[in-house]
Amino acid sequence: MQVFFQTIIGGISLGAVYALVALGFSLVYRTMGLVNFAHGNVVTVGAYLASTFYLTTKLPFALAMLVAIAVTAAIGLVIERVLRPLENRDFDLMLIGTIGFGIVLDALVIMIWGATGRAVPSPVPAAPIELFGLRIRTYDLVVLAIAAVATVLLVLFLSRTKRGAAMQAVAMDHEAATAVGIHVGRSNAIAFMIGAGLAALAGGLVGPLLYVNPALGGALGIKGFAAAILGGFGSIPGAIVGGLAIGVLDSFAAGHFQGYSELVTFLVFTVIIMIRPTGVFGERTVNRA
Amino acid sequence: MVRPRATAISAVAVLALVVAAGCSAPGGDKKESGSDSGPIKIALVDAQSGQLSSLGAWELKGAKLAVTEWNAAGGINGRQIQLDVFDDQADPTTGTNLARKIDSEGYIAMIGTAESAVTIAMAPTLKTAEIPNITSGQSPGLVAVGSEFLFLNGPTSTTYDETLAKYIVDQQGIKSIALITNNGSYGKGEHDAFTKALTARSVTPVADQVVTTDQKDFSAALTSIRQKNPKLIFLGAEEVESGLIVKQARDLGITVPFAGAAPQGTPVFLDTAGAAGAEGTIVSSPYLSNDISPASKKFADAYKAAYNEDAELHGAKAYDGAQIMLTALKNSNVATGKPLADAIRATKYQGLLGDFAFDQTGVGIFATSIGKIQGGKLVAAAG
Amino acid sequence: MRYRIATLAIIAVAAWLLPYGLDSYAIHVVNVILIFAILAVGLGLCMGVGGQVNLAQVAFFGVGAYATAILTTRAGWGFWVSALLAIAATMAIGLLVGTPALRVQSHYLGIVTLGLALAFTNWVTNAQIAGGAEGISAIPVPTLPGVDLSSEYLYYYLELIVFALVLAFGLFIVRTALGRRMRAMRDDALAAGALGAEVPVLRMTAFLLASVYGGVAGVLYAGLIRYVAPESFSIANMFLLLAMVIIGGRQSLIGCVVGAVGLYLVREWLVDHPTVAQLAYGTVVVLVVVFAPTGLAGLPKRLRAALGRGRAGSAARLQPFRPYETRAEPAGQGAPILEADRISMHFRGLKALDEVSLSVTAGEIRGIVGPNGSGKTTLFNVISGLYRPTRGRVRFRGRDATGLAPYRLARAGMSRTFQNLRLFGDLTVEENVLVALDRSATWHSWHYLLRPVHVLRRDRDLHRRARESLDRYGLTEFAALPPKSLPYGIQRRVEIARAMAAGPALLLLDEPAAGLNGEEVRQLSEIVRSIRDSGVTVIVIEHNMGLVMSLCERITVLAGGRVIAEGEPAEVATTPAVIEAYLGDSMEVTG
Repeated sequence: MQVFFQTIIGGISLGAVYALVALGFSLVYRTMGLVNFAHGNVVTVGAYLASTFYLTTKLPFALAMLVAIAVTAAIGLVIERVLRPLENRDFDLMLIGTIGFGIVLDALVIMIWGATGRAVPSPVPAAPIELFGLRIRTYDLVVLAIAAVATVLLVLFLSRTKRGAAMQAVAMDHEAATAVGIHVGRSNAIAFMIGAGLAALAGGLVGPLLYVNPALGGALGIKGFAAAILGGFGSIPGAIVGGLAIGVLDSFAAGHFQGYSELVTFLVFTVIIMIRPTGVFGERTVNRA
Repeated sequence: MVRPRATAISAVAVLALVVAAGCSAPGGDKKESGSDSGPIKIALVDAQSGQLSSLGAWELKGAKLAVTEWNAAGGINGRQIQLDVFDDQADPTTGTNLARKIDSEGYIAMIGTAESAVTIAMAPTLKTAEIPNITSGQSPGLVAVGSEFLFLNGPTSTTYDETLAKYIVDQQGIKSIALITNNGSYGKGEHDAFTKALTARSVTPVADQVVTTDQKDFSAALTSIRQKNPKLIFLGAEEVESGLIVKQARDLGITVPFAGAAPQGTPVFLDTAGAAGAEGTIVSSPYLSNDISPASKKFADAYKAAYNEDAELHGAKAYDGAQIMLTALKNSNVATGKPLADAIRATKYQGLLGDFAFDQTGVGIFATSIGKIQGGKLVAAAG
Repeated sequence: MRYRIATLAIIAVAAWLLPYGLDSYAIHVVNVILIFAILAVGLGLCMGVGGQVNLAQVAFFGVGAYATAILTTRAGWGFWVSALLAIAATMAIGLLVGTPALRVQSHYLGIVTLGLALAFTNWVTNAQIAGGAEGISAIPVPTLPGVDLSSEYLYYYLELIVFALVLAFGLFIVRTALGRRMRAMRDDALAAGALGAEVPVLRMTAFLLASVYGGVAGVLYAGLIRYVAPESFSIANMFLLLAMVIIGGRQSLIGCVVGAVGLYLVREWLVDHPTVAQLAYGTVVVLVVVFAPTGLAGLPKRLRAALGRGRAGSAARLQPFRPYETRAEPAGQGAPILEADRISMHFRGLKALDEVSLSVTAGEIRGIVGPNGSGKTTLFNVISGLYRPTRGRVRFRGRDATGLAPYRLARAGMSRTFQNLRLFGDLTVEENVLVALDRSATWHSWHYLLRPVHVLRRDRDLHRRARESLDRYGLTEFAALPPKSLPYGIQRRVEIARAMAAGPALLLLDEPAAGLNGEEVRQLSEIVRSIRDSGVTVIVIEHNMGLVMSLCERITVLAGGRVIAEGEPAEVATTPAVIEAYLGDSMEVTG
């Protein structure tokens, strides 16, 4: 029983990070219909930036995160500009274009920071909390709290601000949105900026949990994308639920199937997607003839 | 106008085809190896890119240091030594490509990678081409290949883990041991070698957890281990993953020491696990620290002077390997192929790792020392 | 043609003589390139031609190589027997990986296939039989009497022959019925299905083809490298393969080969700077996708298009329609060909159709009218199988047809056009018609392997019939043009010609007059009458009341998802309910 709950805790801890990654995927997708396969690599960039500001320039962790988010958001704007011609085009082409972009970012990261990685000491040195024989890392609670706050802020932004409402409109029908005078390009740019910022948040937060190296984002990206799909692609609550679900699924697979965990995780994922292609919160779109 | 010309071309083409087919098969390779003048060409094959490139970088530095020293002393028989680097990207297919490449470009010897899978992939080609090579791998699988041209610059996992088991079980009397290893070639080798050493002492591990090489969360495995209350946890994974496992174990309230081989003695492991988490880790290594002997001090100073960083095990291994290769070249008057391989086998060399004397399997050293991480440093274990 | 043969001959001779100029390393590189080229062709067939995102190609490659390795070293079987079994195993895996394609497409399929590829690497890393992370070494050299295949030079010839065969086979598929159908499905799966292409079978075929190529490449790899390990089938190599196909041009198999050869050579050239190589090919992929989506292979065409813009399009002229021969007594005259029984269709609470019943007699022209949003197109979509109705039954030609897949209905004799025109944009006008003409079952594709001559002969016959059909509709001069380049009215006519090429008993026309000028409407009316006279029942959705009144024998009026009137034109036009429903839409009554 203890193993069961501890496994859930471990799964949720990484699941929160997957959720943040999934959130970025979903936000960009719902606003501009772009599946950004380079998102995982943006996570790597964010992780490196955050750890660089934290370790090298000795900024406080929170400040380092904010700077990293700002810089990564700016990078997001650049990516959006380059990929703009792909928007609302052939889906497969788009997918491949972003994969290409991911390859480029990956190479750039290696060129700038080298192929080996770095360890980031935890900014919250407090000892783990002990509860009914279960151990919960304080840093995990911080990550969960930040993920929750980020989600709430995002939802508030989308529902309460004018710009957010405009983005919602673009998400629903970009032609109609254009017709009522919404600047679609700007909405897309902002979506991408926030998406990249979320990636940096995820990357920066995961740094002290794991080890920052060029391969970091690839693994998080694939799991995060799977999470977004599992939750219902484009859905904000879906991204959160999907992220936690993938995290927990992963942990249990690791516990029960040991070395074969990856095989099991992806087989289960495939089966779920085949049974319910639209995910947990996704809505079935109708074919228009 | 069009027709006749096209037909003529086709006819010529068919004719050429027939002639070509009638000719002898292609494949006359004009080798430039074994030339008696010019620099002595040695290839260094290592991962210079990818996740394991830190190992590759260390090995390159170690081997290069040895070559620089020899060249500064006038080379061999008045000939300079030329060390060229090839990046295997830790990919066996790339390795097989490189094996052919160094053969066709006339390299007479090779210093190889810590990635055993790459070396195993290259072995048949190097055997056919008769290129002796000394690699940094430690998998027993390298011995199983049975190539007379393949040598190891250190002990195999069997030695590492036999020494470790001897220390833990026989000397410390710890019998309640848990295993956590990854399913990569290194982790698998460690798992098998250590289990074998335990079985020989009729000790059964209380837990045997296998993780994947890119796993990030180890709660399930570690919690199961914690429930078994072992006195010690054996760790078989590369530097970063080992560090993560130790870090998470400490967070889960596991306080018993970890034990492992070479990776657990490296700075990367220490950084990832954190000095407090790594404290007390038992390490089986042929090269515990830079100030273990006068030779190692000299090496470490030279290393520091050349690269402005502290030397460690992988650099030392590659340095030893290169020294052995160069000594054999000198002893054999720059022989190539089988005579060179024989010369390597005959070389007795007192290296940083100990005294090398090769047997028929290509392994030259059969001992490691036990060290312990204390105060964030690896020091020799007492008793 | 002669030139082509000559070029081929020159390439063949060059390929044959190539090893004489290469050292032992270069020949090894060439051998590896050929393997990647075979993989790229397979990926091109699946992704470029079939439109199925397949990020598991590298796993197919791995299955082929691993199966060969396991069978030769563990079971001790001969290389060639193992090779055949390995390809069979790869095909089985291909079908398994392809299964999700039946449910999901594009990025969903991307992540699923990628996940399955990771699952494969994970399995071989763990499995004892696959040698774990250290892989399997000492795979025996393939034996061939009189030829020593341990020589890479001679192995090259083996690879070259296999490569030539599989490339030729791929081109054969692309240029004949199966490839055309796959391309049609890639362009517009919905329209392809409505024309009788068995979309599920085609998707599986795409994956099957990819897996065969992956298997062949894997076997050659095992024979060449004689060692397999998990890292060789990693995601990084999958992306490299993807880049080869995209840069070369995924829709052209030759392009895929060029991409594979080119990218591998560049990588080889930059072998000491892998990061630079990575940066370079990533950048090229982005640039190609943004600026030249058809890849290198598409460049000549784009150049030509840029130079001689619009030349071909303006020269071609529409010829008059040549009416069908009138059937004296259409078969089944008087019996209902289509019956809809109280059909309801709900979308998330919205009732698009509410208990709609309809009976259409064989040989009549039925009009369906109604204000916008009255459910006309939804009704068509239910009838033609795109939607499964929430309630109610549809009977077609006396059999229950509720919720049958569109392609089954198409094969049973139902054909349709679409409100927004769904012509296959990447196919020529003639190929659009050819797709509809082809009524063969896709699972008969084994003919490609065993009866190629039969396939060719059938294809020639299809072409003859396509030309006849185009000639009847006066479209001969447009045969070789892409439909999107044509004026709207002509596209409408192409779509009708295409729907009729399927040889239907019932033709559904969804707003065929939309966007046509007066003269074109008159021609349309003539065409539809002739179609009916040839024995085909026609149902028309139309807003142009003039056309409906003059053309249709009976009219069904829908409003708010319900039938509010049905009868002869004159009778319906005076029904109070109809007048009321149209009050807000009076323009269309008079128009």
